[in-house]
Amino acid sequence: MAQYFLEQARVTDFIAHLLAHHTVYAPHHRGGRSFAFEKTSDPEAVVLDYPRVLNAVKKFFLPPREVLLHFDLTRDTAAVPKVEPIDAVFLGVHSYDLAAVRRLDFNFSTGNPERNYLVRRKGARFIGVSYVPDKHHFAGSVGIDPYDMTGCDMFLTKHADGWIVDILTGEGSELAAGFKLEAHDEPKPRRAHFTQHVFVPQARLGQVMEASYDHPVWNETAETCLSCGTCNLVCPTCYCFNVEESVGIDCTNGHRERSWDGCMLRGFTEVAGGEVFREKVAARQRHRVYRKFKYISDVTGQPWCVGCGRCTASCTAKISIVEIVNRLIRDSERDESILT
Amino acid sequence: MAKPNVTAKPSATKKPRVAIFDFTGCEGCELNQLNFEDQLLDILAQVDIVEWREAMDDKAEEYDIAFVEGALSTPDCIKRIHDIRRRTKVLVALGACAVDGGVNAIKNLHPIEEVRATVYGKDQYLFPTLPALPLSAVVKVDHNVRGCPMTQAEFLRLFTSLVMGKQFDEPDLAVCVECKLNENECVYERGMICLGPVTRAGCNSHCTNFGQYCIGCRGLVSEPNLKGMNEVLTSHGLAVDEAWKRLQLYNAYRLQGVRA
Ligand code: SF4
Ligand code: SF4
Ligand code: SF4
Ligand code: SF4
Repeated sequence: MAQYFLEQARVTDFIAHLLAHHTVYAPHHRGGRSFAFEKTSDPEAVVLDYPRVLNAVKKFFLPPREVLLHFDLTRDTAAVPKVEPIDAVFLGVHSYDLAAVRRLDFNFSTGNPERNYLVRRKGARFIGVSYVPDKHHFAGSVGIDPYDMTGCDMFLTKHADGWIVDILTGEGSELAAGFKLEAHDEPKPRRAHFTQHVFVPQARLGQVMEASYDHPVWNETAETCLSCGTCNLVCPTCYCFNVEESVGIDCTNGHRERSWDGCMLRGFTEVAGGEVFREKVAARQRHRVYRKFKYISDVTGQPWCVGCGRCTASCTAKISIVEIVNRLIRDSERDESILT
Repeated sequence: MAKPNVTAKPSATKKPRVAIFDFTGCEGCELNQLNFEDQLLDILAQVDIVEWREAMDDKAEEYDIAFVEGALSTPDCIKRIHDIRRRTKVLVALGACAVDGGVNAIKNLHPIEEVRATVYGKDQYLFPTLPALPLSAVVKVDHNVRGCPMTQAEFLRLFTSLVMGKQFDEPDLAVCVECKLNENECVYERGMICLGPVTRAGCNSHCTNFGQYCIGCRGLVSEPNLKGMNEVLTSHGLAVDEAWKRLQLYNAYRLQGVRA
């Protein structure tokens, strides 16, 4: 489809153009050296050149906390809050985070459809941006390069003097309508330099995982793992949640709230009666990795990890999923060479 | 193991009888000190307060719920807490001092006679003192409301659960969880020590929301990985000693005999 050029000096004008007609969510500075998607009001505050945001765009469709129900115990009534499509432009999304949205779309539409997520997802339009991999990204190993435009209405590829703009859908043309962009026909830069790699394709990884159930890496990792759940909570393809009810001080009105949960947390597998069926940190660590490279992957044929590197980047104990997986690969290859 | 779910719902019609006590602490957790404002009246409407030194002279024989603030630090405290336990169906520890011994337990790091001489000087023999203890070191505690001062939202959640006869689950996960839900930048990113990874959530990551580090006022999670915590500090080039000093601020009782 059509390709244009946006000079760096006109980027804020372009954002202002989007803002004049749409609600825009984009990456902003958060804290000293981090970034987060926020509702944009000032085009100057948007950062298009960033390594990764703290929480992926998932947070808009599956909010960290959300009220599912309001109830009144005296009248015995309940009301479900209205959920609406998010009619907004998500500007500056990286390819792996969009790949994660596609995976969540699959998870939430197969089996028992997750209504709130699917409704919110409907209004979203995406403007992707390319990125330069940092020391934690390994999306290339799971087949998602930084220039992958899948799922975008428009895509911005970094260029020395600005951004090459691909308009990919009718929605994309509408977003650009009324803003003058120069046509562009030079070939695009397409070289991604990942420093982190997982060394085998998913087809092989399933077998590696299968063979690694009792591998010592699980216990070794558990020595330093704080079981803090961070790696789950920041993961763009993690979708587990907890549901709790609470009442106001009058003990009559209350609500049911759902909030993000994660399989690294001890209480995650606590069932009625207090039994915790994944008591050991090692077992939880194995489960987490299997959820990304085995359980769902066995069904879909795709890794459920998109290589964003968040779990590793935000683990205070510096536990690296790439190191874990590569060690399993190495050891399973060694074991096979002994066997054959 | 499952904790039996202890509630105080006496009957469909009668309001629970509530008594409120304080031991050694700063009284920062006292109900009337908290920022409840209008809610205090709503709270009182749900229960009958039968004993409360701060606000009334009456004494009661029995109660459904005893809210107890402060740590135990004298022989008299021990006698009183046994007496309260005998009279109440449900005993709730309010705040870090009652739950974990709190800052009082820092004195346990020194020989008790030395502490006594330092504090009371030549009058030391008039003031018998013990190492500071959390209530649970002496009697059975049914529920905890953690924090210094106690976390208000947690108090309300426990209170409504007790009044309604519902199960109350104490959070047992790290402050990091709430930090992620609130999408905070981790303070380790800025080269500061944070006790969040071993501290119990429930405060909605109160301090880190403001860019401050967590000093662990809600006590440790049930299975803190302290060895892992040391590795975290070392790998970030932070001082393990300094972190342990901070850990002892609220966890000196629980960490007795444990070392970095
Ligand atoms: S983020 Fe790191 S320390 Fe926390 S649970 Fe995950 S692996 Fe363990
Ligand atoms: S497992 Fe880690 S690297 Fe993979 S998608 Fe999740 S957070 Fe990103
Ligand atoms: S700031 Fe503290 S509580 Fe928050 S994620 Fe970092 S270590 Fe955990
Ligand atoms: S963040 Fe830490 S110190 Fe602050 S209130 Fe919570 S538990 Fe206490």
